[in-house]
Amino acid sequence: MTTTTADPLALARQAIEHCHAQGWTDGLPVVPATEDAVAEFLATVDRDPDEVIGAQSHLDRRVTVAQAAVNAVMAGCLPEYFPLVLAAWTALTGEPAAQGGAWQSTSGPSPLLVVNGPVRHRLGVNCAGGVLGPGFRANATVPRALGLLVRNGFGIRPQQLEQATQGVPGRWQLCIGENEELSPWEPFSVGGGVPAGTDAVSAMLIRDCEYVDNRHTEDVEALLRDLADTLARTGAYLGIKHSTGGLVLGPEHAQQLAAAGYGRADVQQWLFDAAVRSQADLRAVGKESHDAEPGPDPMHMMPSPAEIPVIVAGAANAAISMVFRPFGWSTWSGRSVPVPVSLTAQEAPA
Amino acid sequence: MTELFDRIIDPTVGPAGDARGRTALAARPGDLTGLRLGLLVNTKRNAAEFVEEVAGVLAAQHGMTPSITRTKPSIVHPAPAEMVEELRAASDVVVVGVGDCGSCSASAIADGLQLEAAGVPTVVVVSDAFRVSADAMAELQGTPGYQYVATPHPVANLSRAGLRDRAAAAAPEILALLTGPAPR
Repeated sequence: MTTTTADPLALARQAIEHCHAQGWTDGLPVVPATEDAVAEFLATVDRDPDEVIGAQSHLDRRVTVAQAAVNAVMAGCLPEYFPLVLAAWTALTGEPAAQGGAWQSTSGPSPLLVVNGPVRHRLGVNCAGGVLGPGFRANATVPRALGLLVRNGFGIRPQQLEQATQGVPGRWQLCIGENEELSPWEPFSVGGGVPAGTDAVSAMLIRDCEYVDNRHTEDVEALLRDLADTLARTGAYLGIKHSTGGLVLGPEHAQQLAAAGYGRADVQQWLFDAAVRSQADLRAVGKESHDAEPGPDPMHMMPSPAEIPVIVAGAANAAISMVFRPFGWSTWSGRSVPVPVSLTAQEAPA
Repeated sequence: MTELFDRIIDPTVGPAGDARGRTALAARPGDLTGLRLGLLVNTKRNAAEFVEEVAGVLAAQHGMTPSITRTKPSIVHPAPAEMVEELRAASDVVVVGVGDCGSCSASAIADGLQLEAAGVPTVVVVSDAFRVSADAMAELQGTPGYQYVATPHPVANLSRAGLRDRAAAAAPEILALLTGPAPR
């Protein structure tokens, strides 16, 4: 400690280094959390700070609302993001896939958070260009807060209790808004049980994300076939237990499908029917041996149409979509969680 | 400066859990002859086959009687209390296997300690890629240094013959941990 208090900026840097030295960070600098900052965050929600919001009984760890606030401060959130952080935590920990050993898994899955409703605009949640990329504070810090809570609150750290083989690129960084304005369909959260126009967040654990570039045709069946090809990849298939897949459709693809009369459910059904592999394909990659009974030939690679989440997000500047791969075989629960309005935002003058 | 940084909140401090302190390990029998062998399978691919092969060796070479096999409902969570009780009632020693993934290795160690706490000498088999998780779980459970058998990773892709060889290779260490020395 050679820096003196004479230089507050040097001191700020030293405080950040202190957090690194304690092992509290994900490798990036964090905002040191103080009582004042945490109080500001807690003031945005009507929650008991001591309420336990998560437990890993086998690890003998629990986490509270206050601890979530501490980690949200550290992640670089603004106080008004905190209701979304808590709702996202509820959505995430409510997912079947997150209730087992997901945080310790060799799969190294990442939550994909999907935000619907006016909160997207209030908090500046990116729904459009570069929606899965950096540059937008809410998108970057809300999932990071959850990751820090898992690390610090549950004590699950890489190469210790967390045993990801590689882990998903973008782990704890994947938060997108649905581009409701350009989507031809009802908001994703409506399927999750939250009415259109209401703030909501959904969470899924995913293992990868792969683009599908199809800007060469007006034939929607050609487009769907292209999407199905990526969904039906054998590497994602877990043998007797299905993996599944979902779509982040670019607005152009979504509109192209809608213009041809396809609703979301039609897209899901088409993809379910088309995303199949022959038993010979599965045998050729050594995956038949997981099956007590091999099942039909060809085999559906998706467990059911409803378990193919379809989200619309990104820029309307190229007909590109993403296929993502939910973790394990317990896919999205189908539930979205309402986001309460921040108390401070509510009380603030218009 | 240190005082100033003391005002930074430690994000790792949450509410107290249910720590139960160091597990008293079960007393080891000197000889396995005639004893009942319980098996706890964690559902990992090849786990059932692996512990079956271990049971074959212990029965043939050490006069044990395989008595009960139970399969956990969830690979990632420790076995439920009823299952631990069933194993305790029907076995003199238990083999747990196979910790061969991130979360299941840790949970297998928790199973070993549950059974030890119930008075049953237990050996957990973990694949060696997951020593870190196994050790971390032993420490979290208040029993750092809890000994287990590490078999080379991976286990899931082995043929039956490969499993047989692997079980034979692990058997001496399994035997040693089941019979002594006296636990700490």
